Amino acid sequence: MVPIENYLVLSTILFVIGFFGVLSRRNAILILISVELMLAAVGINFVTFASFFDSGQLSGHIFTLFIIAIAAAEVGLALGIIIRLFRDRDTSNIDEANDLKW
Amino acid sequence: MKKLFSKLPMPYQFDRLIITGGIITASLTILILSILLLLKLLGYLSYKEVFFWMISIGMIVGALGSVLLNNLVHAVFALLAPLLGIVAIYLFLGSEFLALSQLLIYGGGVVILLLFGLMMTNVQDRPIVTDGSQKPFSFLITLIIGTVLIFSIYSANLTYDSISIFSLKDLAKIIFTEFLIPFLIVGLLLDIALTGALLNGKKHESAQTK
Repeated sequence: MVPIENYLVLSTILFVIGFFGVLSRRNAILILISVELMLAAVGINFVTFASFFDSGQLSGHIFTLFIIAIAAAEVGLALGIIIRLFRDRDTSNIDEANDLKW
Repeated sequence: MKKLFSKLPMPYQFDRLIITGGIITASLTILILSILLLLKLLGYLSYKEVFFWMISIGMIVGALGSVLLNNLVHAVFALLAPLLGIVAIYLFLGSEFLALSQLLIYGGGVVILLLFGLMMTNVQDRPIVTDGSQKPFSFLITLIIGTVLIFSIYSANLTYDSISIFSLKDLAKIIFTEFLIPFLIVGLLLDIALTGALLNGKKHESAQTK
């Protein structure tokens, strides 16, 4: 059987890679990809703890279901904002979106 | 519609992506698989662990590719590896329903939505993006956070019993009794978010005249 530390370390590595992407990328869509990676890593962590410790309750599985739904909503909304930004500024580089009102 | 599709860098980039990506993936897979099977034959691993290691190595390589690659389309395609590897991890943990919904929503919906977003912005003119000068600093922060997390995992001394398998009927019973209100709120949130995205992305008259 695969021990629980392997799942947790895999989830940690994915989370950290996504965090690095959020900090180092400049394109808005690539930042969105990194956020997706972080959400997926959190989902692995929830399901791991739920299936190893919380045998009768299934709360972790249901929270992962909520995470998946909210991630889908977040991608749709963020892509709407990015397309709007591209139409106004002709770029999707978030360093150039530095005014409060345009 | 034709104008939309011509914005994706279709022909030569796809050929190059398929050929070079296929060669690199196949050679790496053969190398890793032979090493893991050697370890299996020497008695260090079981078959389940061989599959787990293969899947996790593929996920980490894909995640690194989607974070480090400079071409936008390649980065989105590299995201498919961790998102589909998570399906296998959920199956390992005994949760079939989450695996199926992950496969449908992420592998089908989110990646297509991201490619659509790339198509609407300027992939054809500038597919190559440059990252900022904040890369070494963010690498340092990431290294510190990762070291702390992994050290805390290994020093936790977790005691656990074996993985519990549940049926879909139990999951449905808990969703529709105990978590009914949050479930409805999530549905409402999804509705509001997608309607807002539609309204936000719509062309306005003032934006056209500007």
